[in-house]
Amino acid sequence: MTRNMNRLYLALAIIFALVYLFPLYWMYVTAIKSGSEIFSYPPTFVPTDPQWGVFAHVWEIRDMGRFIWNSLVIATGTMVLVATLGTGCAYVLARYRNGWINLALFLVLMLQVLPASLMVTPLFVGFSALGLLDYPRFAVILAVTAKAMPFFVILVRATFMAVPAELEEAALVDGNSRIGAFWSVVLPLARNGVLVSAILIFMQAFGEFVYSKSIIQDVSLQPASVGLNAFMGPNTVEWNNIMAYASIYVTPILAAFVLLQQRIVAGLTSGALK
Amino acid sequence: MTQNLQIELTGVDKHYGGFHALKDINLSIPNGSFVALVGPSGCGKSTLLRSIAGLESITGGVMKITDEVVNDMPPRRRDVAMVFQSYALYPHMKVIDNLTYSLRLKKTPKAQARKMAEEVAATIGLETLLDRYPRELSGGQRQRVAMGRAIVRRPKVFLFDEPLSNLDASLRVHMRKEIRALHDRLGATSVYVTHDQIEAMTMADHVVVLRAGVIEQQGAPLDLYDRPASKFVAGFIGSPAMNFIPGRTNGDGTSVDLALDGQPTLRLGRPAAANQDVIVGLRPEHLSMASTGDNNFAVRVGVIESTGSTTYVGAGDRNDITVVLSDRRNISVGDRVQLAIDPDKVHLFDPITEAAL
Repeated sequence: MTRNMNRLYLALAIIFALVYLFPLYWMYVTAIKSGSEIFSYPPTFVPTDPQWGVFAHVWEIRDMGRFIWNSLVIATGTMVLVATLGTGCAYVLARYRNGWINLALFLVLMLQVLPASLMVTPLFVGFSALGLLDYPRFAVILAVTAKAMPFFVILVRATFMAVPAELEEAALVDGNSRIGAFWSVVLPLARNGVLVSAILIFMQAFGEFVYSKSIIQDVSLQPASVGLNAFMGPNTVEWNNIMAYASIYVTPILAAFVLLQQRIVAGLTSGALK
Repeated sequence: MTQNLQIELTGVDKHYGGFHALKDINLSIPNGSFVALVGPSGCGKSTLLRSIAGLESITGGVMKITDEVVNDMPPRRRDVAMVFQSYALYPHMKVIDNLTYSLRLKKTPKAQARKMAEEVAATIGLETLLDRYPRELSGGQRQRVAMGRAIVRRPKVFLFDEPLSNLDASLRVHMRKEIRALHDRLGATSVYVTHDQIEAMTMADHVVVLRAGVIEQQGAPLDLYDRPASKFVAGFIGSPAMNFIPGRTNGDGTSVDLALDGQPTLRLGRPAAANQDVIVGLRPEHLSMASTGDNNFAVRVGVIESTGSTTYVGAGDRNDITVVLSDRRNISVGDRVQLAIDPDKVHLFDPITEAAL
């Protein structure tokens, strides 16, 4: 009985996964279809005449190397900044308990609630006043850092809370300073959680669009997300090229996620130590 | 004399917000002694230990370690080692690295640190486990590593925070002896927190009984047993706990009437105030079953529990008078028996202040 139920659940899960992943499949398939096959009716689920050259072609004509590089700069910068600032913040929020900490946690969560499209205007005005728009990629890194920080802090705080305070106290009595105890005992034990959260932040920043689109005017500094948007003009018919672009953009992230997914799930769920 | 004092607390107070956790603690711990802090949970014994370690700050009074005021000194500069209840072994380090952690912080050369750790490991039977991680060890082995980590530093003071409470009963008895032997061999000063009065009685030279942040009584273990200063200490020290029976002293103060059926009278070893309500304290092991009529009183047997070597008898109206017998008697539930006690072993307490009379 339960065995049949299990099979039923498995079947349902697979169906949902197929529905969920279908757009991804359609992206890859459309990329390698010829122009006429894209618009043929009924649509073909397996391309009859795959155009493998489309990837190199799109990479060349859209100057994708530059876009991807900009995305990497923004994502790496954001990840480094978030991890550097957020780890300490999460640690303090994990170790101290009082009314002010609760208020701080509430504010951190509030930040998470505010949508980027709402924040972009005041940020733009502020950055403009500070002259940060002259360094648009840096400005975007700052904006995305602020956006991604709450998510990181909440995740990493949970990781730190799973590290028993007695271990830290043992290190203090053994002759270490608070900072020393943090580096040699707490951080190594929270490493998985911090790394996984940083990777998630990287992925989030790699796909960031709203801030980049608004703040970076210079095409040579725009990330791949903005480049993709620019590709899709109002009268565009180059669906295969656009899908090829999207495939090139998204595949590395997808591959990284698949490779790391076991660690990501473990890092998010386990207390990182037993 | 002060140079013989390893730890000296004068009027130490500790507040947590509105909660007064330690109240006017005065405690002198001589060099080389083994002191047990004992009391029920929440009495402040762990707080006191953590204050000595520097993990908690004190809000009043003076705390000295080897004549140096340490009130505001961080733990790392106090030269004390602590064994935690959870052992607090660093899970990401092998046993050898756990042992040498403090030495590495002191910049001891690697080879020397390794040698010191190996010596300690040999004395406590860890030499084959040095390359294991804490998660690969049993509870007893982890406990040893925690001890070794403290020993390897040769600190001024060892602090133990209920180190045996996670071990099973037989191992606990064994480790009790081993810790005391280790203490004697190292000639160290030890402060040992426990809620188990048997641990305190068997291991310590000096027992400090705490209750609600106050030192209720301190002294040598047998002094506490023989001359408890209050009903609380009398009930806490000794196992099974002392029996308390309300009573009233007679006109001349040389005997006391118990509030039991028939108002039996017990003679007292030394005279007390006359015509006064008191609580009479009788230790279960001091009561004997006597058929003759010298200083005894009759009770009904309600419960008989025998462990083979010892028989515990619950008697009285609510079976709340415990008697410990080391020989087997032919008694059964419902019998009326005579309990006798040496007049010198009758304790009297004030029913209101609970102080010994």
